Amino acid sequence: MEPLILNINHRNYQIFQVEKNETLLSVLRYRLDITGPKEGCSTGDCGACKVLLDGVAVNACTTLAHRCAGKTIITIEGIADAGNLHPLQTAFVEKGAVQCGFCTPGMIISAKALLDVNPKPSRDEIRKALDNNLCRCTGYVKIVDAIEEAAEMMRKDDHE
Amino acid sequence: MNNKEWRLIGSGVPIFDAKNKVTGKTRYTGDIKLPHMLYGKLVLSDKAHARVLSIDTSEAEKLEGVRAIATPFNTSSKKYNSALRFVDHDIPKTETIFSQTVRFVGDRICAVAAVDQKTADKAAKLIRVEYEELPAVLSIEEAMAEGAIQLHDNVSNHLNEIKVSVGDVEKGFREADFIFEDEYETPIVSPMAMENHVSIADFDDEGKLTVYSSTQNSFAIRNILSDVFDLPQSKVRVIKPTLGGAFGSKIPAVLEGPAAALSMMTRQPVMLNFTRKETLVASRTRHGAKIRLKTGINKDGTIVAQAYDVLTNTGAYVGSAYNVVGAMSHKVFKSYRIPNISYTGAAVLTNLPIAGAMRGYGSPQAIFAQQRQLHAIAKRLDMDIVTLQRKNLVTPETVDPVKMGSPRPLDCMERGMELFGWEDKLKWKENKNTINNGTDKQEQTDSRRNVKRGVGFAIGCHGNGVYGAHRDFIGLRLKMNDDGTFVLETGTHDMGNSLITSQMMIVAEELQAQVNDISAVEADTDLTPWNLGDYSSRGIFVTGSACLKLAYAMKDLIIEMASAMFQEPVENLSLVPYRKVRSTLGKEASFQEIFVYAQREHETDMLAQVSFGSLAARTSFGAHFVQVEVDTQTKEVHLLDYVAVHDVGKAINRMSLEGQLEGGIQMGLGYALSEQMTFDDQGRLINNNLKKYKMFTASMMPEIKIDFVEEGDSPGPYGGKSIGECATVPVAPAVVNAVADALGYDFHTMPIDVEGIKLMETLES
Repeated sequence: MEPLILNINHRNYQIFQVEKNETLLSVLRYRLDITGPKEGCSTGDCGACKVLLDGVAVNACTTLAHRCAGKTIITIEGIADAGNLHPLQTAFVEKGAVQCGFCTPGMIISAKALLDVNPKPSRDEIRKALDNNLCRCTGYVKIVDAIEEAAEMMRKDDHE
Repeated sequence: MNNKEWRLIGSGVPIFDAKNKVTGKTRYTGDIKLPHMLYGKLVLSDKAHARVLSIDTSEAEKLEGVRAIATPFNTSSKKYNSALRFVDHDIPKTETIFSQTVRFVGDRICAVAAVDQKTADKAAKLIRVEYEELPAVLSIEEAMAEGAIQLHDNVSNHLNEIKVSVGDVEKGFREADFIFEDEYETPIVSPMAMENHVSIADFDDEGKLTVYSSTQNSFAIRNILSDVFDLPQSKVRVIKPTLGGAFGSKIPAVLEGPAAALSMMTRQPVMLNFTRKETLVASRTRHGAKIRLKTGINKDGTIVAQAYDVLTNTGAYVGSAYNVVGAMSHKVFKSYRIPNISYTGAAVLTNLPIAGAMRGYGSPQAIFAQQRQLHAIAKRLDMDIVTLQRKNLVTPETVDPVKMGSPRPLDCMERGMELFGWEDKLKWKENKNTINNGTDKQEQTDSRRNVKRGVGFAIGCHGNGVYGAHRDFIGLRLKMNDDGTFVLETGTHDMGNSLITSQMMIVAEELQAQVNDISAVEADTDLTPWNLGDYSSRGIFVTGSACLKLAYAMKDLIIEMASAMFQEPVENLSLVPYRKVRSTLGKEASFQEIFVYAQREHETDMLAQVSFGSLAARTSFGAHFVQVEVDTQTKEVHLLDYVAVHDVGKAINRMSLEGQLEGGIQMGLGYALSEQMTFDDQGRLINNNLKKYKMFTASMMPEIKIDFVEEGDSPGPYGGKSIGECATVPVAPAVVNAVADALGYDFHTMPIDVEGIKLMETLES
């Protein structure tokens, strides 16, 4: 069996003996110790395992690993730039959008996917973009606040 | 007390571990990988009630990579109560690590440990269980029926009643102008923390069992493990890594025992985690309840007597069955000035998943009935609900301040009405109804003509700690480091609720430090002093108070050492920002200099340690207001506006108070409108995943306005009281009252989903 080569957070990984039905989440968490993406349901319903696959937020728990060959995978570990938090991460911290934090990696991934295509979303658009991300702690209120704030920070950065 | 200027108290401080959480660095229990760690998988019962005759493990054993299979026949069968709180806590023991008689679909039969998760999963599927089926009781009625099969031999299905009363209820009813009697029913729901339950057990060759677990209750888990496996507590250590939410579901021992059994067999660490489906059926649920409520009221709106008769469905084992109906009994006395109240509550065992603690712990059920009936009574008597509430709610002037402090549900209601625009919204509705009168032409052609609006509100309450029920105790330790920063050793479990952050804020406030100057070691039974466990909204009221005492103790140590160093009396000395002591004569030393002096000249450590037992009970209150739109064709309920005002005494961390409240609202909205665990006639959960079990998503949430009443006199730190559980209590009755207002139906059950509304339509017609 040929090793599977995956590009994750701008690095190539060779993974051996990946079975056809092995999920991306299983490869990330169990083989590569990339534990930022969380396993909350394994059915694609909670969004805690979201990663960016060629820029699109997908559930790693329902994505087959071998389908990701040749694509760019970004996990929550790949969002900050050399230790500098991404504006979304800064805003999540400062706005109180983090409580238990288990949904946070998936929330930030979904938010990043949204802001990459829609830099000035309305609150309703933000909420819709989060509809495949469940949270039990925050009522989503401060998460939406943080994404709004991050969008504004990023627009300012672009102007400077 | 509230007039003092605070540097930190009352401000908004992000949770202490937020940065690790946003970058994915945080290690939750399920992220830990110990050398040689094995992975476990449970085999759960697919029968609601049966004797396990045999377990055939031969095929599973043949699978390469399988290391051990723990069954009821090779594992300790000592009974325990998973909701034990302290070593001498006397509550009925009905559970074992594995069951030889399974009592619900999801009961633990055996477990496999293998080199990886896939092998463990595969092996579990190869295990064949032979059952002898027994009759199952799947509802309160079936379980209480004459001749019904009894689930356990040491307790009856209908557990002992808890009765509490004040005044003379019968006399009250005789003298009342009107009497109303209603029966309410609340659904079984799931706490649904996003992190599934997970435990790692590591039994070493010294005979020491170390367990890393997603728990809110480390010291009680140690008691249970020590008892079941007959190990001295010096040989059991329970450590809580970061928790991914809990909401009560992680109070009981669930996976710790089976993981320990596997580790003791293999002498290797074993991780055992639940899938979402397993968390749903095999962790804990909120008790479903049937509440018969009889209220006597006079023409002027004064409530003169009230009688609660409650039965809860506690599922298959006696966990917190007594505690939940017991806690519920306190809550019905708190909000109103009713001279005669009686409460009778009992839990009933059924062949359904085990009910346990969930945010609110009895309050959401009882307060749903209380607030729903009050609104219904207002409507039946054509009285204004606001007037009715004003007439009966407690105020600081109407209670014994020693027992009740300064309860402010009325202030919450008045402030809530203002923020919500209650009067304007009522007027809008009245005008609309008069103008349109149901025949208005424009209304007929309006594409939204099927939409009806309604408003509602509810008052809720919840306690602060467990004073009155049993000991409410925590020990804390604070160590000064060589550079004058601090390590807090606290046996508490942050669940995402900023419990640790609040403790850091209190210590930092009092020691003129910054929050970042404090780091915390959390619940670890070998390392941190004893703590009861994080439930009962103890966080601020009990632990916060303990923390204040701890900070004072450290402050005394610092001042005394500085006094020796400066050769000045302690009266001259005070702490100043940041981490310095200054004397009235102008001398100044940093904590670092004082530490060095203490070490060099006195060879002493700067270590403060306190014990704190809470000796008071206080109640937190909240008033929630909501406006809804109901589509009478699709039966969908949309939430328009939401206002929540809470009596918290004094805000400690404003950001986490708001966050807790917003999260509590999400949970309550699901309770009101979408969440319910439903079972088929074999006791199997039908909606066993997150597609079918409907939690509120971001776009279902209304805009929420929040405010706090901060008139604290409470013995809590700076006058502070809890929010965590109270946050979710008023939500469901407020929403159901609003839907009832929109449709004119007198709802007695939840959730008000499409089926719920259709059912009411049938009943009403």
